[in-house]
Amino acid sequence: MSWIQEKKLHLAERLSACVLKVGPIPKHVAFIMDGNRRYAEKRQVERQQGHSQGFEKLAETLRWCLHLDIQEVTVYAFSIENFKRSKEEVDGLMELARQKFTRLLEEQDNLKKHGVCIRVLGDLTLLPVDIQELIAQAVLATQHYNKCFLNVCFAYTSRHEISNAVREMAWGVEEGILKPSDVSESVLDKCLYSSGSPNPGLLIRTSGEVRLSDFMLWQTSHSCLVFQPVLWPEYSFWNLCQAVLQYQMNYTAIQKAKDLQVADCKRRQAESDRACVLELLEQSPSGNVEDGQLDQNQVQQYTAEREQRVTSFLCALEQKRKKFLSDLVAGCPPFVCS
Amino acid sequence: MPVLELLWRALHALLALRRAVGSWLRGGMRAWERWNSALALAFQGARRNRRRSRAARCRSDSRRLRKLPLHLGVVVADEEPSYADIANLVVWCMAMGISYVSVYDNQGIFKRNNSRLMEEILKQQQELLGLGCSKYPVEFLNNSNNKVDQVLTCPTTVKVLSPDDGKEDIVKAAKTYCQLVAQHQRRSNDLDVNVLDSLLRGTAGLPDPDLVLKFGPVDSTLGFLPWHIRLTEIISLPSHINLSYEYFFSAIQRFAVCEQRMGK
Repeated sequence: MSWIQEKKLHLAERLSACVLKVGPIPKHVAFIMDGNRRYAEKRQVERQQGHSQGFEKLAETLRWCLHLDIQEVTVYAFSIENFKRSKEEVDGLMELARQKFTRLLEEQDNLKKHGVCIRVLGDLTLLPVDIQELIAQAVLATQHYNKCFLNVCFAYTSRHEISNAVREMAWGVEEGILKPSDVSESVLDKCLYSSGSPNPGLLIRTSGEVRLSDFMLWQTSHSCLVFQPVLWPEYSFWNLCQAVLQYQMNYTAIQKAKDLQVADCKRRQAESDRACVLELLEQSPSGNVEDGQLDQNQVQQYTAEREQRVTSFLCALEQKRKKFLSDLVAGCPPFVCS
Repeated sequence: MPVLELLWRALHALLALRRAVGSWLRGGMRAWERWNSALALAFQGARRNRRRSRAARCRSDSRRLRKLPLHLGVVVADEEPSYADIANLVVWCMAMGISYVSVYDNQGIFKRNNSRLMEEILKQQQELLGLGCSKYPVEFLNNSNNKVDQVLTCPTTVKVLSPDDGKEDIVKAAKTYCQLVAQHQRRSNDLDVNVLDSLLRGTAGLPDPDLVLKFGPVDSTLGFLPWHIRLTEIISLPSHINLSYEYFFSAIQRFAVCEQRMGK
């Protein structure tokens, strides 16, 4: 089963897609693909069969998303909590990942043709080394494609991701690139695994569960949440349309709330910059601060310096992450198409 | 294409109509219920007794449930806040024996009008539960920032939250940790999920919510405690205005039958 499906939509589907596209379409949609095992039970097939069908549904859903002009999709493939499942099931899921990432590397021409950039979000070090290597190869091979993006959350939880982001910032402080006062919402945002993506506008969870299960908690704080009762392997184009409709009905109100949040962030940043300048002035021996009278130039200069520090920190972080992947690839034999 | 646009508009008009009819029907139902109970009252007299029985009913209802939330979050998304209705809801939670209730809106309206909400809760508490402050003592706690932060301490702790307690709180914890790193008291590698969680627990002072009741037309948590809602069941109700006890209780019942697999 391939990652990219070429099948066209039916007439009714095409028409509906065109109608939907008149309104706002989310740039980025996140999926919690829940219900594979319940589907297997319902159909009385092996669990592994349920997981394979779930993957097929993913490929199909990606095709629908492209037809709806949704450029970026993030899926929750494997949670760190899932390591708690039986050894048999975990091994089965790892084997599925092994096959699918191998398949992905075989399909490179197809990925190039469609401009699909693949990213894997999660703590790769928790995975078997051969899967780490496959993932690194796939990510590096597609990193420059930019027509559409598929983020696969693998060995992922959101709390782990946020903690990792804080650890990266602390690393920046340790290295002397960043000051503790530079830490802000926007810097944390850029230290997450998902730093390259806009926040998802729409989060879809299937199988009727109504919780986030430690998935993209930070990024979906202002997303439209759609919980659908259908099991993931039974997900249909119409289910997706319904979710997009719901997104459209929420669009204006959520946009308003987001604007409010952005304004809040800016205000906090400005306040923090002023406080830092004040503190610097108080520390300097020649500093005589008249109450509340801050030189606007000084604040501007401080802001520029802070932005400079943040930029070089983010560069260093980017390099560190790239190096991790290229080291993995260097450690394994080059991939040969079979 | 104009035809497509027309179709799209018609579709959304239909959906808006469906929503409007739904809320109109709910309003009608509630008016009917109130009218009915008013009628019953006229026969029975004794308003106080009815209220007493409501409190008793909350308690007996909660005993019938398989599980109760420990911490219930109330999120009002894009609705004009009604203090009386929120106070009602909080008092039902008290009567049911829910230990923590937090109230959130993304504009910080409840936080700015904290005292108004607390007064309303006290009023409703005395009216509905018919109990004086002696049994459910009220304390006003000051937090370390010396900002007056009113926490109603009964068997139920009520806390009003705003976006400042969400992402901003995580940023503050990160800053604190980075300062420790700068002073060589900690190393970056020592930070993990548990360390960050304990840093955050200190500020919120509440356990993770196990249920969020989200009111209003927006299908989003709008920034409500992102770190803490990892395993929270999110149940949407159309509006908190004129919320009836039956409606509230049906949501609690829905929560009571939910099973969590915790990744397994």
